[in-house]
Amino acid sequence: MKKRTLTAGLAFFLCWTALPLILGVGYALLYSVGLVGLLSEGFTLVYWQRVLTHAEFWVDLGYSLSLAAGAMLLATGIALRLVLKHRHSFKQGLLSYLIYLPLAFPAVVAAFLTFQLLGPRGFFSRIALSAGLIATPEQFPAMIHDSWGTGILLTHMAMAVPFLVLLFIHTWENERLDELGQLAQTLGAARRSRTWRVEVPVLIRSSRPTLVLYFLFVVGSYEIPLLIGRESPQMVSVLAIRKLQQYDLTARPEAYIVVLIYLLLVAVLLRTLLVSPTNPKQP
Amino acid sequence: MKNFTYTLFVCFCTWLLFGCQTASKNPGSSVSDSLSWEEIEAAAKGSTVHLMMWQGDPQINAYINEFVAPQVKARYDIELKTANGQGNVIVSALLAEMEAGKSSSELDLVWINGETFFQLRQINGLYGPWTGRLPNAAYLDLDNPFIRYDFQQETDGYECPWGTVQQLLIYDSLRTPAPPRTRQELEAWVKAHPGKFTIPNEFTGMSSLKALLADFGGGRESLNGPFSEEKYIRLSTDMWAFLNQLRPYFWQKGETFPAGVAPMHQMFASGELDFTLSMNDCEVDNKIRQGVFPASARAYVPDFGSIRNAHYLGIPAASANKAAAMVVANFMISPEAQLQKRNPEVWGDGTILNMEALPADWQEKFSNQPGRKFAPEKSQLLPRAIQEPAPEYMIRLYEDFRTHVIETPVPSL
Amino acid sequence: MKKHPFFGVVVATAILSPLMLLGIFSIGKGWPFPKIFPENWSLQNWSDAFTASSGLGQSLGLSLGIGACVAFLATISGFFSARSLAKSSRKNTWLMLAYLPYVLSPVMYAACLQVSFLFLGISGKITGVMLGHFLLAYPFAVILFTGFWNARMEAMAQLAATLGANPVSSYLKVLFPVAKGVLFVCFFQTFLLSWFEYGLTVLIGVGKVPTLTVKVYQYVTEANIHLAALAGCLLVLPPTLMLWINKRYLFTRITL
Repeated sequence: MKKRTLTAGLAFFLCWTALPLILGVGYALLYSVGLVGLLSEGFTLVYWQRVLTHAEFWVDLGYSLSLAAGAMLLATGIALRLVLKHRHSFKQGLLSYLIYLPLAFPAVVAAFLTFQLLGPRGFFSRIALSAGLIATPEQFPAMIHDSWGTGILLTHMAMAVPFLVLLFIHTWENERLDELGQLAQTLGAARRSRTWRVEVPVLIRSSRPTLVLYFLFVVGSYEIPLLIGRESPQMVSVLAIRKLQQYDLTARPEAYIVVLIYLLLVAVLLRTLLVSPTNPKQP
Repeated sequence: MKNFTYTLFVCFCTWLLFGCQTASKNPGSSVSDSLSWEEIEAAAKGSTVHLMMWQGDPQINAYINEFVAPQVKARYDIELKTANGQGNVIVSALLAEMEAGKSSSELDLVWINGETFFQLRQINGLYGPWTGRLPNAAYLDLDNPFIRYDFQQETDGYECPWGTVQQLLIYDSLRTPAPPRTRQELEAWVKAHPGKFTIPNEFTGMSSLKALLADFGGGRESLNGPFSEEKYIRLSTDMWAFLNQLRPYFWQKGETFPAGVAPMHQMFASGELDFTLSMNDCEVDNKIRQGVFPASARAYVPDFGSIRNAHYLGIPAASANKAAAMVVANFMISPEAQLQKRNPEVWGDGTILNMEALPADWQEKFSNQPGRKFAPEKSQLLPRAIQEPAPEYMIRLYEDFRTHVIETPVPSL
Repeated sequence: MKKHPFFGVVVATAILSPLMLLGIFSIGKGWPFPKIFPENWSLQNWSDAFTASSGLGQSLGLSLGIGACVAFLATISGFFSARSLAKSSRKNTWLMLAYLPYVLSPVMYAACLQVSFLFLGISGKITGVMLGHFLLAYPFAVILFTGFWNARMEAMAQLAATLGANPVSSYLKVLFPVAKGVLFVCFFQTFLLSWFEYGLTVLIGVGKVPTLTVKVYQYVTEANIHLAALAGCLLVLPPTLMLWINKRYLFTRITL
């Protein structure tokens, strides 16, 4: 391949990835220190100070991270169990098609369904009422707009589990875990060791990049917390856009600061959790 | 390295070229004062007007999409398109355009009032003065302080009145035979019925807070006049204290508040809430007819009053279709459009026209229009109307509701 | 490994019931409490939906058009640029860079780039929304194809060159056929990326580009659950069709 084509391809790539990033981050930085913006008054660090010292941002960030971590851990656990015990069911027949179906649902529709199904006067609440499980609708557990973000957690889990099941099944095939596990057994490993010392570690290690990426997706999700989240604490994306469109126009830089800190966090997490420079084969 | 920079440069240029397609659009310029109305209408022919409006009510959407849009198309050959957004979304969008130095705006007409108008004028985001140039402006009821002043501000021709509303509390007469009339009665009622009352964290909710604030101030006139920081701090401290001690009895124990009125209406209909609020005083009629509210739903204004205001149409300063926007606005304030809008079966929104200024046949049509069946008539609501206070109150309420209520932990019972 | 017949039934029900409920919500008119299912089932919602005033038909076409364009452009450009990337010595750095727009919340990315879009005059326009989606879809395509352009593929390309094929025919006759599977997967995945996108669309489009996701959100804020469910059904339809054609189009493992 000619060198010129090589550099052209690379330049094209940089043009559409690095350039927008630089433009976007650059503008956000300038706005955050008051150097651009219609109502800006010159260089100032007061907005940075405000965001960093105000508890709201850290609470929302912590909330987003822990909610995403919880969803991922639970979803991974469920998916692992499904794959370890039932993967043959997903390899042929109707289930092998059906398991792909949840991937056809976008976040907006998933959030809408969660609201209609799990809401205080939703589908399940009505069933519980007619079945006599609860006497009044108020007794139905609050899952939407609650302080734990149960609705958000469950929606993300419902979307993540099928994806992870497919991921693990594909990884299983790629890493030839059937044979590997057999090998372990012939070498004397007990059933339990085979699962917990061979199969699960290989699955997790091979899927780690995808798991990390999915986790970051969930942290930055927008549509789901927008529809079924609470006013406070909010997930980071909702917080950023709210600050961008808030009534106090002079506090707009705060929105860009939230974005910048989030970007830094994502970049750091990506770097540490994803790239292992020593082993060239392992991502 | 030279090759690299060269190809990078070429790619950058393709990036720019990709985008710069709207050079053909004329930059936003004023509609010259020397033009007559006929010339303005002629200039508007064949244009497209983008209206940014609140789209949270299907009947309002139907009125615009199924009445106004076809009419302006048939009469003036103007294409009316709508986009969803209100208040801070409009301000944010126009501010972003100005910061980017855009010469022509994406929006041509915006449905605004109050604090939005205030902020847009702050950033010189509105075109004007233009309302005086509309032929139908002669019919505007500008002697009415509720129409002439937008949150205590002179409109100065920068926004055109479009309709009037008064806030109402909606309840179910079967579930709540004796709705509370005073602040004390409201407090007692909420404590007796935990989880059945709340306010939305948006325009309607903040408007109800203004009524409460006025009550703390001692009367419906107490918030009139320019913004007073001292008055605001004094009254709001009492109000936040009042709300926070009541919060544990609110819906969801006051830990969260609905983000819009439409979900609140749904919750009221399903029985989750016993009250809902609306800025449309004909809401009860509309929703009963749509089958959303039970037939026993009714609406009222508490003794301490409720906000009555007008809503307006503005034209962004950088709009490229100002002539067309003016023509559309002129139609929207025409007796015909106002009559249709006032029909309880269509929207039920109050008119901003001065009945006495209208020709006799129009006066007759307006007075013969069937009234509302379930909501109180406007004449009954007027004695308890509170005029909108200065816009700074609204802006502060939005911010402080967040800091003093949403972000404050709910006091334990 | 024991086969639990009950398991299949449980899982199938869990997966199919949300879809069925979505369909039921879309054909009902009114859902008074405490009825379990909506009332007045009829197809009128669906026939009304495609009348001129609701604009759902237009949104469907718009979303399809934007998705197809973005998918095509991202797939083709990703296919070619990934080759350069794969051969570069700093491959991992570039891939890290490619991940950033992909995992940064699209709506935050849009917030930062809003000014640039306004400056270019494409804010509030279909081209603007397309470019925004492209900025998300292209890095994804690059990441996908970088895995494709491994040593074996390069060797194949070299072989074709040594056997006398010029670049064009080596692509047309050798590389495209071999890459057919990945090309299709990428096309459909990037299509879905654009098809499902909401936050970026509404911010860059200033609400003026009414894709299907924008419509769903609009109906939800209007508390119109029937039309929201209808728009949701329309959203779910193409991916479900893709599943029917080749289930692999719906899922791909992003690898380095």
